[in-house]
Formats: sequence, C-alpha cells, structure tokens
Amino acid sequence: MEYTLAAVVSVAVVVGLDVLLQTRILRQRRFWLFMAIMFAFMTIVNGYLTWRPIVLYGDGFYLGVRLITIPVEDYIYGFGLISASVMVWEWLTGDSARRRSRATTPGPSA
Amino acid sequence: MALEYLLVLALTVLVPVLRARDPNLSLSRRRRDLLLTFLIVVPPYWLWDYVATARGHWSFNPHFIIGIRVFGLPVEEFLFFPVVVFVAIFVWESMKFFLRER
Repeated sequence: MEYTLAAVVSVAVVVGLDVLLQTRILRQRRFWLFMAIMFAFMTIVNGYLTWRPIVLYGDGFYLGVRLITIPVEDYIYGFGLISASVMVWEWLTGDSARRRSRATTPGPSA
Repeated sequence: MALEYLLVLALTVLVPVLRARDPNLSLSRRRRDLLLTFLIVVPPYWLWDYVATARGHWSFNPHFIIGIRVFGLPVEEFLFFPVVVFVAIFVWESMKFFLRER
C-alpha cells in the first residue's frame, strides 16, 4: 500500500514541522474549521476528478476504500498538502514570524 | 474533452484569483511570502507525484488532459499544486478575516 504509506508519512512530517517551526497550527480550533471547509471543497473537486475519471489509481498501491469515488488516501494526502501550505504561510507571516522579528530587532536604546 | 482537467483547475482557482486583491486580506501585501510558500511546499509534491506516477500509484485519463507531459507528468498535474496551495491560503486568510474580533 505504497500510496497509503506515503500519505501517512507526509502527514507525520507535517505534524513534526508544526512542532519544529513552532507554528502550532494544529492546536488552533480555527484550523480544524478551516480543514472542514477544505475537505468539503476537496470532496466536490476531487469527487469530480475521480468520478470522470480524470485520475485513476493503481491496484495494490492503495487500500481500495473510497468515499463515493475518492480514495481515503486522497484525504490524508490533501490534509498534508493543505496543512503544509498554511503552516509555511503562517511561519512566514504569522504571529511566530512577528515574534521572531521582534526578538532580532534592536531596541530603542540601541 | 481534452481541456477538462485544466478547466477544473481554472474553476477551482477562479474566485481566489478574482478576490486576491481584497484589502481585507493580507495577500496583496504579501506577494513575496506567497511566492516563498510556493517554493517551499510545491517542489516536494512535484517530486512525490513524479515518483508515484512512475511507480503506478496513479495515472491520468488521456481523454481529459491536453497531452503535453513534462518528466512523464501531465502539465495539468504541475499546475495542480500551486492551485491548491493558493486556494488553501486564500480560504485560510478569508476565514481569519471573518472570525476576527471586531
């Protein structure tokens, strides 16, 4: 189940990054609301892609469990990709970034 | 129809692109951060896609792609990741705006 494994590993990496980068996105309630919204979009768009089908999956590489036409792995994969996007964005622009720039900016008496 | 995958991507990114300059969202002021986010997040997924496609994890229906491939991947697949990253950030910032304390 290579696809399954790769997807799970990607999520583990992203969870690790959230701790490493100190973005702590996964601890925010609004993040999970955001993910629910994105999952809804994913179900529509990816539902269409897998229904046509525009994209096909190789036997033996995924579990074979689908939500309608969407392999469960796609949700795991999507979770990783979307989390990574928001995490890196927040790392660059969010509170943790502001804290970092305050810490390295010289004070008024310097 | 050969344009179908491209059309799906275009429709997905349409609203975010049209609304990206909204002054209530920080996106317009943060173009460099947006580019940097793409540069960090997208290439690993391109690589994953290349390996997965080569190994047969997934394949693409020739009826719905325009037929141009780079490193064995349909061009549409390369566009998929910037689109998703952009939509994610757009929805995230929009949500933060709607949930802000007034």
